[in-house]
Amino acid sequence: MKKIKKQELARLLQQWQADYTVLAPSRATEVAAMAEWDGKDIGFLEWYRNTVIPPKEVILPNMEELFRFQKEGAGYRLTAAAPEAKQLVFGIRPCDARALAIIDLVFQDTYPDDYYLSRRQNTLLVGLGCTRPCDSCFCTSMGVSPGESGDVDLMCTDTGDELMIEGITAKGKELLEKTGGLAEASPEDGSRRQEAIEQARQRITRHLDTGGIAEKLQRSFEDKEFWERIAAKCITCGVCTFLCPTCYCFDINDEKTAAGGGARFRNWDSCSFAAYTRMPAENPREQKWQRVRQKVCHKYEFYPRLFNIIACTGCGRCIRLCPVNWDITETLKSVPAPTTT
Amino acid sequence: MKDWEARLRTEARKLLEQGEIEYLIGFAPGSLKFTTTPLITGNKEDAGLLVINPFITNNLSVFLNETRGRTGIVAKGCDARAIISLIQDNQVAREKVFIIGVPCPGIIDLRKVEKLTGRDRDELDDITLAGERVTVTWDGQPREFPAAEVLRDDCLDCTSPAPREYDLLLGEEAHAGAAAGRGKSKIRELEALPPERRWDFWKNEFSRCIRCYACRQICPACFCERCFVEEAEPHWVSPLPAWQENLLFQATRIIHVAGRCVDCGECERACPVHIPLRLLTGKMEDIVDELFHYRAGMDKNEPPLMTAYQPEEAEDFIR
Amino acid sequence: MAITDISHRQKFLADGNAYLPHIAVIEKIIDETPDTRTFHFNFKDEKLRREFTFASGQFGEYSVFGVGEATFCISSSPTRPDHLEFCVKRVGSVTNALHRLGEGAEIGFRGPFGNSFPLDYLKGRNLVFVAGGIGLAPLRSLIWNAIDNRQDYGKIDIIYGARSAADLCFKYDLDAWEKDATVNMTTTIDRQDKAWSGRVGFVPAVLEQVGPSAAGAAAIVCGPPVMIRFTFPVLEKLGFSPEQMITTLEKRMKCGIGKCGRCNIGDIYVCRDGPVFSFAQIKGFISGEY
Repeated sequence: MKKIKKQELARLLQQWQADYTVLAPSRATEVAAMAEWDGKDIGFLEWYRNTVIPPKEVILPNMEELFRFQKEGAGYRLTAAAPEAKQLVFGIRPCDARALAIIDLVFQDTYPDDYYLSRRQNTLLVGLGCTRPCDSCFCTSMGVSPGESGDVDLMCTDTGDELMIEGITAKGKELLEKTGGLAEASPEDGSRRQEAIEQARQRITRHLDTGGIAEKLQRSFEDKEFWERIAAKCITCGVCTFLCPTCYCFDINDEKTAAGGGARFRNWDSCSFAAYTRMPAENPREQKWQRVRQKVCHKYEFYPRLFNIIACTGCGRCIRLCPVNWDITETLKSVPAPTTT
Repeated sequence: MKDWEARLRTEARKLLEQGEIEYLIGFAPGSLKFTTTPLITGNKEDAGLLVINPFITNNLSVFLNETRGRTGIVAKGCDARAIISLIQDNQVAREKVFIIGVPCPGIIDLRKVEKLTGRDRDELDDITLAGERVTVTWDGQPREFPAAEVLRDDCLDCTSPAPREYDLLLGEEAHAGAAAGRGKSKIRELEALPPERRWDFWKNEFSRCIRCYACRQICPACFCERCFVEEAEPHWVSPLPAWQENLLFQATRIIHVAGRCVDCGECERACPVHIPLRLLTGKMEDIVDELFHYRAGMDKNEPPLMTAYQPEEAEDFIR
Repeated sequence: MAITDISHRQKFLADGNAYLPHIAVIEKIIDETPDTRTFHFNFKDEKLRREFTFASGQFGEYSVFGVGEATFCISSSPTRPDHLEFCVKRVGSVTNALHRLGEGAEIGFRGPFGNSFPLDYLKGRNLVFVAGGIGLAPLRSLIWNAIDNRQDYGKIDIIYGARSAADLCFKYDLDAWEKDATVNMTTTIDRQDKAWSGRVGFVPAVLEQVGPSAAGAAAIVCGPPVMIRFTFPVLEKLGFSPEQMITTLEKRMKCGIGKCGRCNIGDIYVCRDGPVFSFAQIKGFISGEY
């Protein structure tokens, strides 16, 4: 394990900037998001708890070109987009890193999604353990430890004045080998790191018991009264789904240019929207309560049935950014337990 | 405010018990510090959950077209105007609602508190509003600020803090627009800029719009069953979040709600990426006032501005 | 009976990219009804044209570049591979754009996606096809497939109906099946029509009148949701078990490959695990939102 003084972090990131586009937490666009690092500012170490826009944006952008088309005579020529740039995300939190591992499963399944997978392949993740979890965080209930992560290439732990840096994957270890200006961590550093990890865990105040949740949701599926009550205050906007690091649903749209060309893009879509499943003749989820039910059940029942993992890592963004303070942990706690008849 | 809260709980419970209303829409404590959440219930026991405090930010009138049967609704001044505007637009029947008016104490803008204190919401111990002073406690230390520093911009300019229409009024004192004109100061700044600089400003703001439609969904005036964004024929605006399309979406939305928007500011508050939408709604409301001497939601018997034809119309093409 | 066996689905991906369409050329256009057209097409690429195969029941994603993509089953039969067909009803921007195209126009095609009718289960059985309106399109592929392999199947009953005489699709097929002595063809329209001298009645009612035997049979149903919902009880009355009733479901689709999320019913993705399902499977779905 290596370490670096926090005040030296800029020199570390500058080294990596030689080979990667380095992205780090930034408030340059008003709200916290991962943005291209400006080459010198490490002030984010003071204020950064988590971003508003989840790092999934770096792998699955809100607007992504799939291919271009150009009219040629009576026909068309297509050119597929090929995301290639190597990028490094510094500061991704364990919840968001786990989230990527979770949605990897759907993008690998049956038909490999080359756009997602090549971005994923070309992105190196440098995790940063939490020191100040938010009151909306419930990652520990979802199998995530806020101070540590196996879902990143390199993992940093903040021990006060220093960052401990550990190589997790082969790619990460390789990068660590090549990186200069790092000191060796001592056994005492190792203990301080463990303490920091334990402290982060202790600071999580929101808990949720997900035992048997898929079964409970399955049994409650047809309970229209329950879902209407749960959905009553939801306004069916896309905040929770767009800012959720495990939501991945997308829409596909074409845009034209005047010169007979254009492109096909995909963009984030949400099962909360009525238009999501709307067909000319009917809409199977016309009612708000059906869409709220879909959102909850997809994450805590359907996805686990398909991929053996709940599509939620307890990052808490949905709770703290929901315009009506709709709270998933409250909803899940209120799902009726199956009766023993 | 505590008396109002107690009175609200008693009255709301009675209304439900006596069958005066089938549903009640009010505020309950939120699951996070310094938040509230809409309470929509037909159960009289839930009346005990109702709260009145400086965090009752939502404009609850957005839920009115969803409840079946007579509905009691807690309304601040701006909310009452929104209800009146919905009545003007025939979206809600006056008899359907029992308006429980709350003279608004002013709503605290948590983003302003965070900027002022350098702390995040969940790191504060307490926030209390008393008249023109706000006390914020953090690290065990209480510190006082003028309320005008932390109240929402729309509250600073508010001309109708007391509900203009109600069936029951919880109290008398409402705050006057604590710093009239100050909430519009950013609008004045923008107006003073040359068009290219203004364009650059908005291009920058809309570059981060993610098209979550929280602004549209939280707005009581956006009650269309199908939004123009969802139409493919004609393809009015792209669903893709390019800044041009985002700007076009919002500008069109603001024009669509012109004459019905009461500038409650909820769109700006709901926006997860902090786009200053109230600069647009506030300016739109001013333009409507200038051109038509009209503000939405003032009089339930007044015909709605954009859909009512008056023989004295200024434009001669209509005559 | 492996109805959701997707292993026999073939993947013809342009450059291995599931989102990139192949270029196809429209060769012939047939007006089925005032708002419905059949398009005959072939791939521009010679090699693909020769090698492409699919199974009855599968669908494609068809592009009008600049307007968008829409989902249609492949309505031709794999036994007649000289060209491919799909049938489009005008309901929105992409379908209207398709209808504005002429012969020689180039479109995009992604596919074949989805599962297909379970031929292993159907072989040796009597087949009862029940269809309404444009719902005949996916069944048509299977009907010609069966007729072209006639010895593999037992009796063939076809009950087909539309709102009016003008709304009957594939009239040339209806004629051919009427003339085929090995096929029992019944055509009906919903309401009495001056231009029509044949049977009148809703498809489920006419099905009951025809009363095909359930013994050693399978029913394949497709049409507007309301027709399907009224047809299943009639089939049950006639003695068909849920395993013997097969249908193909319609959902709003975009990616066609089980990624964009929108076509799900519980943990089933209609584009990837369907669109062909037996009623036994449908009864096991998490919800009735099909």
